Amino acid sequence: MNKKNGILVVLGIILLVFPLVVHSDYYQHLIIIAFIWVIIGSSWNLLAGYTGQVSFGHAIFFGIGAYTAGILAMKLGISAWWGMMFGGITAMLIGLFVGWVCFRLRGPYFALATLAGGEIFRLIATNWEALTEGMVGILIMQTFRSKLPYYYIGLALAASCIYVVHLTMKTKWGYYFVSIREDQDAAASLGINIVLYKNISLLISSFFTGMAGAFYMNYMGFIDPEVVFSLHFVSIMAILVGIVGGVATIWGPAVGAFVMVGLQETFRSAFFGLAPKWVSQGHALVFGLLVIFVIMFFANGIVGDWEKIKKIFFKTRETT
Amino acid sequence: MKKRKVLAGLILAVVLVFTFGASQSMAVDTVKVGIVLPLTGSLAKFGEIEKQSFDMALEEINAAGGINGKKLDLLIEDTTGRPDVGRSVVEKLITKDKVVMIGGGYSSSVTYAAAGVCQQNQMPFLVNTGSADNITSSGWDWIYRINPPVSKYAGAVESLLTQVIKPKKVAILYENSLFGTKGATEFEATCKKLGYEIVLKEGYEHGGIDFKPVLIQVKQHNPDVVYMISYIMDASLLMKQSKELKLTPKMFIGGAAGFTLPEFKDNAGVASNNVISATLWHQVLPFPGAMDYYNKFVKKYNKPTEYHGAEAYAAAYVIADVLKRAKSFKNTDVKAALDATDMMTVFGPVKFTTWENMKNQNKVATYVVQWIDGNLELVWPKEGATKQFVYPVDWLKIWGY
Repeated sequence: MNKKNGILVVLGIILLVFPLVVHSDYYQHLIIIAFIWVIIGSSWNLLAGYTGQVSFGHAIFFGIGAYTAGILAMKLGISAWWGMMFGGITAMLIGLFVGWVCFRLRGPYFALATLAGGEIFRLIATNWEALTEGMVGILIMQTFRSKLPYYYIGLALAASCIYVVHLTMKTKWGYYFVSIREDQDAAASLGINIVLYKNISLLISSFFTGMAGAFYMNYMGFIDPEVVFSLHFVSIMAILVGIVGGVATIWGPAVGAFVMVGLQETFRSAFFGLAPKWVSQGHALVFGLLVIFVIMFFANGIVGDWEKIKKIFFKTRETT
Repeated sequence: MKKRKVLAGLILAVVLVFTFGASQSMAVDTVKVGIVLPLTGSLAKFGEIEKQSFDMALEEINAAGGINGKKLDLLIEDTTGRPDVGRSVVEKLITKDKVVMIGGGYSSSVTYAAAGVCQQNQMPFLVNTGSADNITSSGWDWIYRINPPVSKYAGAVESLLTQVIKPKKVAILYENSLFGTKGATEFEATCKKLGYEIVLKEGYEHGGIDFKPVLIQVKQHNPDVVYMISYIMDASLLMKQSKELKLTPKMFIGGAAGFTLPEFKDNAGVASNNVISATLWHQVLPFPGAMDYYNKFVKKYNKPTEYHGAEAYAAAYVIADVLKRAKSFKNTDVKAALDATDMMTVFGPVKFTTWENMKNQNKVATYVVQWIDGNLELVWPKEGATKQFVYPVDWLKIWGY
């Protein structure tokens, strides 16, 4: 336990000091993007990993959060930073609605319903041009030229999200969530209000994802329906971050987020320009292969199967 | 065990040094310009033809002495066709690669997002294709554009409609994208102005493959003209499926983009015959080097080129010209040189002025091309046309029914 805490403190200090040492906006940008994925991944993990309600529609909350902040800033001139709070809250309200509809279904049917939900919201955002500007998208100018404020806000958000998930899982709620995942009928027969607790899990999850969306709006300054309501680039990516990092582990999504963002950029930029250009065209393929590899050999993700990975790469203790 | 850990640490250190340090150690006597294009994803075909043209122009420029003796270096970066990636690519080019200006810009939404970053960072951005009006009508003074805004794409089509086709009923189909939506709205306004009835205006989703439901609707309305604003796969599929449904208006008109690429003919096959499209360029136009560029391109890449390629090729020469004239590579000096641009390119004269509600916008004439016997022929305006406009068309006979 002590060793674990030690690692955390060291990692925390590294992340705090990083932007002061590495001045390149570019690397700071990559880490800010990773923070956003830590938040989305952790939120997804609370609902899918711990509560067992696998969502294919987290883009709904991400998009709602982003659009809330964007529309408030563009139409009403309210600072998009206020939008972060409203984004979270609006995402929660939408979460209630999504839960009301989708929690009537179980397992794969729930997953399919959320998937359809994501597409519905994307189409609404595309076609309701009076409100969302449709495919023109919403462009706001960022508050800060420097990346530092965004970096620390992202770090704080990511840390608090992980902390909240950690806290929640230590309380009674956490045990209810896990019991629902393991066998919801058994949980119900023990007197757990499964509808209520599924919704609580969804609300926490949607709140943080909405915040992440609003933060994205603030940071990137541009959104359109294809970007924030994307099935491929948000909903599926949230699942990948969770799976690669480790489902139902506190640190899994955080690790997954850094791995996925790192890999994506490494391949897009062809190993930062060191490898031949054709490498960049293979990034989708490598993504797919990575997921197959992880699911086949490390079904519990990098964090969940850490012991196994350690054995393979540092198999020293066993041999001596 | 110790050794292994040390080794692992060493490898990590080397990797870190490489990734963080590699960019700083570039040669000094090059001038770096960032070019943002979609090289992967569904818009990759457009990115490819522009990249090939940029590459070709770059070779020639450097062979002719570069930028006052310095070598021009174009850092062509992949936006994957997504606005958010486009933004981070531009940020990377500005902060990590320290480019002196940005060029490229394909697809409106990516260009719009990237232009926002350039404006905020006071980085000159020479757009060559991204065509939504709001890219130059947002009041941004660091953004310059070679191609016309999408609202002007249909200029030549308009005169063809009024003088030859004279339709009564028009159907408009467009992809739900920034380019498609804006183009459709503009064309609708044009039709209303001319007194044509819009019987159908329908957007479809990006990546759609089954257009038959919407095409059946079109058929029921029996329009004289079907106007389509599409990228590449959708353009080919729309024509193929129109053929299968025997949808026969007086004319199929494409709103540039997908309808002029050689891939359109390859994919749509016989269904591409006699389809006309708005365009911004044709190799027979009397611009110096236009035909040369076309021939060199065909020789080098073994396929024809069209207006997207010409825009990119011209943009490379404008960039070189601007950097040669700039007093220094400071952003304000480059901007001053851009403001003073007045040159002839294969794409026609390039000069950035403020007109209507647009800033730093080049003026470009538009033309109409028609696919005749597998070749893209210039048919309108009549003077300078390479072939007579084929009209009226017996579609069923052409399609081999």
